Amino acid sequence: MRIVVVGGGAAGIGAQGGAKGAAPDAEVILYTEYEDVGYSPCGIPFVHGKEIERFEDLILQDKKFYEDAGFDIRYTTRVESIDTASQEIQVAGQGAVKYDRLVLGTGWNYEDPGIPGSDLAGLHYVKNIRRAMEFDKLLDDAKVAVVVDATPIGVEMATAFAHRGLETHFVDPGGWPLADVADPEIMEPVEESMRGLGIHLHMQTSVERFVGEGSVRAVATSKGEIPADVVVVATHKTPNTQLATAAGIKTGSTGGIIVDDGMATSAENVWAAGDCVEIPHSVTKVPINGLSGSHAYAQGKVAGVNAGGGERAYQAVQVPWGMVAGTWTIGGVSFGETLATALGIPHVVGMADGISKARYYPGWSRIRVKLLVDPKDRTLVGGQMVGVEGIKERADFLAMAMRARIPIDDIAWMENVYSPPIGALNEPMALAAQNALGKL
Amino acid sequence: MKFFRWLRQNAEHYLLEAAQVDMAKKHRAGSGPLQPRTPQAFFWRRVFVPIYRLLPWSVRRMIMRAMPGSHRRSWERRASN
Repeated sequence: MRIVVVGGGAAGIGAQGGAKGAAPDAEVILYTEYEDVGYSPCGIPFVHGKEIERFEDLILQDKKFYEDAGFDIRYTTRVESIDTASQEIQVAGQGAVKYDRLVLGTGWNYEDPGIPGSDLAGLHYVKNIRRAMEFDKLLDDAKVAVVVDATPIGVEMATAFAHRGLETHFVDPGGWPLADVADPEIMEPVEESMRGLGIHLHMQTSVERFVGEGSVRAVATSKGEIPADVVVVATHKTPNTQLATAAGIKTGSTGGIIVDDGMATSAENVWAAGDCVEIPHSVTKVPINGLSGSHAYAQGKVAGVNAGGGERAYQAVQVPWGMVAGTWTIGGVSFGETLATALGIPHVVGMADGISKARYYPGWSRIRVKLLVDPKDRTLVGGQMVGVEGIKERADFLAMAMRARIPIDDIAWMENVYSPPIGALNEPMALAAQNALGKL
Repeated sequence: MKFFRWLRQNAEHYLLEAAQVDMAKKHRAGSGPLQPRTPQAFFWRRVFVPIYRLLPWSVRRMIMRAMPGSHRRSWERRASN
């Protein structure tokens, strides 16, 4: 049996490992158009910001590791088309290759900014590690950086440029950074800290065109022109489904490939995983797209195991998330108040400010927790947090609480670790839940 | 499917924009998002958003779930990844 995987990101690598595990005797071939596989693109901003010393540190395993493990990876090899009827793919320079099972992990692309000058050289999109290495060399001589769009990668890049000592401009039409994702009270300290780092926030400002002759030299906005040595375009992610749609594989309202809980697509013997698919959300059951690398890897494993003849299932997602923004860490699960308000999901808000360790212990920091509760069944609709420590763990906990449908009453009166250097007397999530209970 | 993608993109954009305006009024003394005026935006802001907001949650949810997508396929099994 020959299993072909297209894409060398987290989903593709997960799929190849899953397929090998389920069908050790199968021939598993992975095609990627890039020079590397199995690295962490999410780490790129932190190398630019000098928190991580070298780009090589982002590569989880080198090519020899995959070779020794028996993985057949075809680097810099483009798959041009898929014929699901004859079960073959067209590989650039090689012609037709037959498959018995196919897994697509074709990832995502940046949304086209759709403004004049988008084709100018020098506009940088954070994605590929080799391009990031080249871009990083430009940063040594650059003085002014402009980041377009306040998406998570945009916030991370702006923070990285500030750490690097560049004059950093951040342009976004939203009222506050990450306005599509995070609530204003969560972003308030973040915004303040970004300004404190010297980042010029141009909120309520749209980018009208990129200015330059051949290469970008400025960004024209609705509030004037900003000269720039480097420009990072951090528009929203869109699923890369070009191959799939050309092959007649169905996509949904997000643009992502439609899959079931086994990651099977609408085509026989074709599975898909990662940022190219759409997955139902656990609260609304409506599909969403563009999750994290850990989601992509887990989905890839499910797709690979099933392609190898095994039986695995994936579940609707709660989407725990977290990131460093300015000098703070923000995170949450599922819906914030802004998104819940947008969709009209019934909710009650509970909010509390707590601390990360005993107040008398040196180095304690503030944690703000905001929980959204369904007034009817008293379970969580979502939550958001801002703090310095423990945000990731709390987001993971809230995601499990949602999955297990734990009532807010139980979170309000949960037991918690109390130890002065690592935990305060009162758990901030419990305080926020108690606040919500008072409104139910 | 292109129609449903177009519908969802626009609906999400303008519902989020309206929610951000509300949130800005509540928490930030009105510094909401930039709202460029176009004929298309007029329809979504003045017609779609108010009508959507009048609908009860059960109806909104029913409409969202009626859209084609992954949620219409089998998602009943317990995770085992």
